[in-house]
Amino acid sequence: MNKDKIIIDPNLSSFFSFKELLKYKTLLSNLARRDFLVRYKQAFAGIMWALIKPLMSILVFGYISSKISSTGNTTTNFLYVASAMLLWQLFSNVFNEVSNSIVGNANLFSKVYFPKIVIPLSTILVCLVDFFISLIILVVLFIVSGQSIHWQLILAPIFILLTLINGFGIGLYFATINVKFRDVKFIVPVILQFGLYVTPVIFSTKYYTDRLPEWLHWLFCLNPMVGAIDGFKYALFGGEAIYNVNYFIASICMSFLFLFIGVKYFYKFERDFVDYI
Amino acid sequence: MSKNTIIKVEGLSKQYLLNKSALPKSDTLFDNVLTGVKNIKNIARKTETQEFWALKDVSFEIEQGDRVGIIGRNGAGKSTLLKILSRITPPTKGRIEIYGRLASLLEVGTGFHGDLSGRENIYLNGSILGMSKHEIDRKFDEIVDFAEVEQFLDTPVKRYSSGMYVRLAFAVAAHLEPEILIVDEVLAVGDAAFQKKCIGKMKDVSNGGRTILFVSHHMASIQSLCNKAIVLKKGMVDFPLSNTDLCLKHYLKDVVAQSKMQLAERTDRDGEGTFRFKNIILKDKEGSVLNAAQTGSDLIMEIEFDLKKESLNNLSLALTIYNDEGREMFTLANHISKAPFETVNKGNVIQCLVKKFPLTSGSYLCNIIAYKDGIVQDYIQEAYNLEVEEGDFFGTGKIVPTTQQSFLVENVWQLK
Repeated sequence: MNKDKIIIDPNLSSFFSFKELLKYKTLLSNLARRDFLVRYKQAFAGIMWALIKPLMSILVFGYISSKISSTGNTTTNFLYVASAMLLWQLFSNVFNEVSNSIVGNANLFSKVYFPKIVIPLSTILVCLVDFFISLIILVVLFIVSGQSIHWQLILAPIFILLTLINGFGIGLYFATINVKFRDVKFIVPVILQFGLYVTPVIFSTKYYTDRLPEWLHWLFCLNPMVGAIDGFKYALFGGEAIYNVNYFIASICMSFLFLFIGVKYFYKFERDFVDYI
Repeated sequence: MSKNTIIKVEGLSKQYLLNKSALPKSDTLFDNVLTGVKNIKNIARKTETQEFWALKDVSFEIEQGDRVGIIGRNGAGKSTLLKILSRITPPTKGRIEIYGRLASLLEVGTGFHGDLSGRENIYLNGSILGMSKHEIDRKFDEIVDFAEVEQFLDTPVKRYSSGMYVRLAFAVAAHLEPEILIVDEVLAVGDAAFQKKCIGKMKDVSNGGRTILFVSHHMASIQSLCNKAIVLKKGMVDFPLSNTDLCLKHYLKDVVAQSKMQLAERTDRDGEGTFRFKNIILKDKEGSVLNAAQTGSDLIMEIEFDLKKESLNNLSLALTIYNDEGREMFTLANHISKAPFETVNKGNVIQCLVKKFPLTSGSYLCNIIAYKDGIVQDYIQEAYNLEVEEGDFFGTGKIVPTTQQSFLVENVWQLK
């Protein structure tokens, strides 16, 4: 008669279940919808803000980059910075939103049961929508500058996915800490601000490795966003964006390591969130 | 285990750790680093942990179609039990088996967002409660009908009146179709007519063979909705799952015993505590102390209190009187009948005069609350057991039989 049987006991460990997630797909999309609708409610410029924010960063850092690195011409420099900046902003949004998502939605899971992973997953969707809107900037820049595209473009989604994995994995780790220590809210922007300067956004990986001592190269490439951004540049422009394949692979491995740690840590404490929040 | 068992709870316990370390509670990372450094010095000394068992060894079995009321005072563990059953928080010990789809309603309108329209909120709230898009689509018209908000579907709910908001929120929840429904005191909101509608809806739900677990302070709702009940006290089963009337009788006996305790000794109170009730004394007009109020006589309720400060401004007080079935009779409140007290000083006593006390003889309970600028200072449920003796209300020497009425009202009849 009964299809469902639920057992509750103290030792039951929960872990990611795709089957359960599928049952809650309506919730996933509705939470994302809510976040998206609410964000630009009562804002005069509305969805335009999804364009204005990245555009400002691109203009400022593109200008700085072309003044300092002085390799190649200004247009290509701008294109490089623009593509890297968009991906970086995707990462920084996902990281930031995911790390605040659990605390921000405590009122939900302290009253109703659902797999808590739905919350950070739904924030990814919102960030992704913003990202696709901001891609308009890149498309316009490509057309205006007459930049040609290559077959490698089909690889671009892989590196967008990799960026999501980075933001999600690290974000999940911080989201878990955030349940007990609200300092996370302040730490994350600091990490992101610092991160922007040790990631090949404004300058290329080559620019950094040329100027850093040898022993620091590996440390630099343990930054999981190095692989994602270099890969994305490769997909868009081809050529020499991937400076060193070893570093590239190391960086991608870090992405999956962070994802693993983040998910593992999240599920270790997931059941007790309500008691600590 | 009988064939129809739908929920089986065995030896369920939940422990909370309070004041994990003997050092002051620290909530920021920085504090933790600091206490960590301090701890190195006396690392051998064990940190003190205070254990608190919100639930202790609770067991029961619920059969399919039962409507079970969970009764208990504040802090008896009712909410903890519901939270564990709804899988919101894990138990420390014990085991639960649940057969069937379970939905819990611990709050009305979970996840409602003020900026979203009624329509958007129906979908959001429905999906939070575990409904699929298809299910919500199918029930949408029914929900809107039940909530009576057709005209305002596309208005943000922050512009709704509080009544509309609650109606919409309950309507979504009421159209869930789980095999087991868990409900926590949500009926304490909304006007009387809507509450009746909610109880009616819940009865319909249970007539469909579904099982309901229901927590409420409102004894009358439990009486009218539930066929079985269980009484919890301090985290333990005080009276096992049985017939509702038996449980209520047991519970009320206990409540009356507790309300005879000195107010100052009561620990089951809420609020900031700058103002604390100490005692309530009944007096007649001449100022002599009474054991009981008398129907039809003037009654002075004298409230003694403690103040942590020298004086307190803008103090509101309210005293709500219930009959022995838990039905609300009336509320006496200074800010409604006149205005909050401007300044209350240490050593003052507060007096409330009720002219021609209208309740018929019997045993009543009072909840008392004091608040300042909307912040609760002290709140005690079932604070006082008010006995009322029969009296000559109309001044005619006739004693009115109590079986006919609970209130007496002045009335003048004329033949013209």
